[in-house]
Amino acid sequence: MRMQRFGLLLICAALSATYAQVPYQRIAGADSNPGTWVTYSGNYQAQRYSQLDQINRQNVTQLKPTWMYQMRNPGIVETSPIVVDGVMYITEPPSTATALDLHTGRPLWTYTPNIPQDVIIIGSPPVNRGVAILDNTVFFGTVNCHLIALDAKSGIVRWDVAVDDNKKGYYVTGAPLAIDGKIIVGVSGAETGIRGFLDAYDAKTGKRAWRTWTVPGPGDANVESWGGTSFQHGGGSTWVTGSYDPDLHLVYWGTGNPAPDWNDDTRPGDNLYTCSLLAMDADTGKIKWHFQFTPHDVHDWDSTEVPILFDADVKGRRRKVVSMANRNGFYYVLDRQTGEFLAGAPYVKQTWTDGLDAKGRPFARRDADPKVTGTLVYPAISGGANWWSPSYSPKTHLFYQNTREMAGIYYKGDAEYKDGTAYAGGGGETKNGDAAYGAIRALESTSGKLRWEFKLLTPSLTGLLSTAGGLVFGGAEEGNFFALDSETGKPLWELQLGAAVRSPPVSFLIDGKQQIAVTAGSSLFVFGN
Amino acid sequence: MKESMRRFSGGVLVMLLIGPWTASAQGATEIEKGKQLFLGMCSRCHGVEGGGGEGPNLNRPVLSRAPDDQALAAVIRDGIPDRGMPKLRRFTDAELHAMVVYIRSLSQNTAAAVTGNLEKGKAVYQRSGCSSCHIIHGEGGNLGPELSSIGAHRAPDYLRQAIVDPAATLPRGVMAFPGHGFSEFLPVRVVTRDGREVRGLRVNEDSFTIQVRDASQLYSFRKADLQTLDKQIGQSLMPDYKSKLAGSDLDDLVAYLSSLGGGK
Repeated sequence: MRMQRFGLLLICAALSATYAQVPYQRIAGADSNPGTWVTYSGNYQAQRYSQLDQINRQNVTQLKPTWMYQMRNPGIVETSPIVVDGVMYITEPPSTATALDLHTGRPLWTYTPNIPQDVIIIGSPPVNRGVAILDNTVFFGTVNCHLIALDAKSGIVRWDVAVDDNKKGYYVTGAPLAIDGKIIVGVSGAETGIRGFLDAYDAKTGKRAWRTWTVPGPGDANVESWGGTSFQHGGGSTWVTGSYDPDLHLVYWGTGNPAPDWNDDTRPGDNLYTCSLLAMDADTGKIKWHFQFTPHDVHDWDSTEVPILFDADVKGRRRKVVSMANRNGFYYVLDRQTGEFLAGAPYVKQTWTDGLDAKGRPFARRDADPKVTGTLVYPAISGGANWWSPSYSPKTHLFYQNTREMAGIYYKGDAEYKDGTAYAGGGGETKNGDAAYGAIRALESTSGKLRWEFKLLTPSLTGLLSTAGGLVFGGAEEGNFFALDSETGKPLWELQLGAAVRSPPVSFLIDGKQQIAVTAGSSLFVFGN
Repeated sequence: MKESMRRFSGGVLVMLLIGPWTASAQGATEIEKGKQLFLGMCSRCHGVEGGGGEGPNLNRPVLSRAPDDQALAAVIRDGIPDRGMPKLRRFTDAELHAMVVYIRSLSQNTAAAVTGNLEKGKAVYQRSGCSSCHIIHGEGGNLGPELSSIGAHRAPDYLRQAIVDPAATLPRGVMAFPGHGFSEFLPVRVVTRDGREVRGLRVNEDSFTIQVRDASQLYSFRKADLQTLDKQIGQSLMPDYKSKLAGSDLDDLVAYLSSLGGGK
C-alpha cells in the first residue's frame, strides 16, 4: 500500500514535469536553473548569459547538429526560443506560435491567429521575436496588435485581447515579458505616428492592469517638451523586450523615435519620453525615472535596445546599474535606482554629436540633421546597435555587443498625418559597400572602453550569447555562426548555416547535455557536443 | 437677366485669367520640388538632370522599366534591388508625384549625343581583344562583366570612363554575391601560409572564407590559412585603353556599347 502510494506520487511527479509549470519564482530564479531558458533574455537582468559550461573553449570545435526545424512560412526569423520542461516554444513569421519537442524538434502544436489581409505594418518587416511563459500559459503578440494567451500544453487559446487599433498603425513584434501575475507588452508603429505606450495585462484574465504612455498627454508632466499638439502623434514605440529588477520592483524598457522620424518641423523640444529608458513601478506602471539618450531625435535612433542589469563598483561605490549600447552610437551606464548618469562613451564611429555633457546629454550637431538633399552621418540608420541582444558575462564583467560601422545619408521629406499611413518625413540610405563592416566588441561594462573586437565582413543583425564555458556565440549576415573566446575575442569555431543569422542564440540542456540554439534564414538549429 | 449674364461673363474671365496661370505655377513648383528630391537621392547614379552615369540616363521619352507614370512611381518607391537601385526611403504620394513630374520633364532635354560610329565601334571591340574577357550575346571570355545589355544600364560618359580608367568604375553590388554595395570583380592577391600566391578576382567572401577565381580555376580559402589577403579596392584587372585607342576609336567603341540594349 505504501509502495502503491509512492508509485502514484512518482507518476504525478513525472506528469507534472511534462506539463509546463513556470511560476514567477522559477523565472526570478532562472540563474539557479541554467538547464532552461524561461524568459526572452535568459533572466530578468536580460544578460543573455548561460551558466552552462559543458561546451567550452576546449571542446567547442566538436559541436554538431542535434536537430533542425524549418519554419512553416517564409519571412525573416528573429525569434528567441523559450525552453522549459522538455519543450521549446518559438514564434514563426509573421505571428505564429509553435511548440517543439525538445528531443527531436518535432512540432507538438502550432497556432496562427487570423491576420486580416489589410493588416498595417509600417516601419519594420513582419517579424516576431518570441513568446513569454508564465505558469502553464504561453503569451505572444501579433502584427495586428493582439496579445494572445495559449495553453502551453495544447496551444489552445485562453484569451486574446486587442492591445490597440492596428488601423492606426499599432502592431506587436517584440516578445512579451512575464513578471509576477502580469504580462508586459510593447508596441511598434512610430512610423505611422502612433502615440506610444507600454501595457501590462493580468496573466489569468487578459484584463489590462496598466498602461504607461511613452508620450505625455494634455496636463501630463513633460508635455511641454512637444511643440503644439505634436504629442498626439509623437511615436515612442516600445518594440523590444526590457528587463526587470524584482528587488526594486522596477521594469526597465526602452522607447523608440519621435514621429515624424526625420522631419522635426512640427515637434520642437526634447520630445519626452522618446529615445529614452523608462524605469516603471511593476504594479502601477508609474514612471519612477527616465533618462533620455537622444533628446529631439532626427535620425530614428530608437532606444529600444535591451537594457542589461548588473551590480558593479562605479564612482567609488557598489551600485545597481543598468547599461545599454544605444542605437545612437554611445554606451551608457546608469544607476538603476535613480537614473543617474554614471558613464557614457561612443562604441562606434559617430558624427552627430560633439560628445556628452556631465549628465549624459549629447551636444547634438544640428549640421548632422537630415536635409532634402541628404546629410552624411555616422552611424547609419540602423545605428551602432539595435534590437539584437547584447550579452553580459558576470564572469568576465564584459558587455558584448554586435556593432555596426557604417555611414548613412539622412533625408528630410514631407510628413502629413493620416491614420494608418506612413508619417516618417524622409528616410535614410545606408552606405553599404567596401568601407562598411561589423564587429563583435567586448566593452568594459562600467565604462564602455573597448577590451577586444572581432571584425565581421559586413555589419550584421545578430544577437549574442555569452557562457560560463568562456564563449561568446554570434552570427553574421553571410550565414556564419561562430564562437569566440570571451576573454580575447579569438574565433574558436565557425559553421556556415547558409543564410543570415538574425535571432539571438540561447542555451539549455537536453538530457543533461548542453545545447545552443540559433536560427539562420528560415531554419532553426540546435547544436550540442 | 442682364445682371446675371454680366456676373457669369466676369466669372469666365476670371477663370481664364487665373486658371491656367495657377496650374502652370503649380506645375513649376512641383517640378522644382521633384528636382530637389532628385538631386538629393538620384543624381549620384542617374546624373544631374538625368544625364546618366552609373545608372542609366533618364532624359529620354521612353524608360524601359517605367512605361507609364504609375510604373515610374513604383520604381522610385520600391527601387530595383537586383539591378543595384536601392529602395531609398518612404515617400508621400505628393513627393512621388513631384519626382515623376520632374523625371518626365527631363525627356525634353537633349540627351548627350553619341558621336561615334556603331559599326566601326564593333570592329574596334573585336580587334582590341575585349571579347577575351567580356561576353556579348553568349560570345567571349568570362573574366569581366557581361556587356550584352550594358547600353541599357550605363550612360555613354560612364562607359567612356570605364574604358580609359576601369578602376574608377568597378561595378558595385548589383549581383547577389558578394552582396549589396561591394566592389565586384575586385582584384585580390592571396598568399597562403605555405607560401602559395594566387592573384585573381573575388567571387564571394564572408568573415571566415574567401572564394577567388583567375582565368583558369576557382580557389576557396579559409582566411585563417592565409598569411596575406590583399583586397585591392580601387583597382581593376582590366588594362586601361586610354593609349591603345587612336582617332575616333573611343567614340566608336562607346557608340557600339551604348547600342547594346539586351537580347532584342
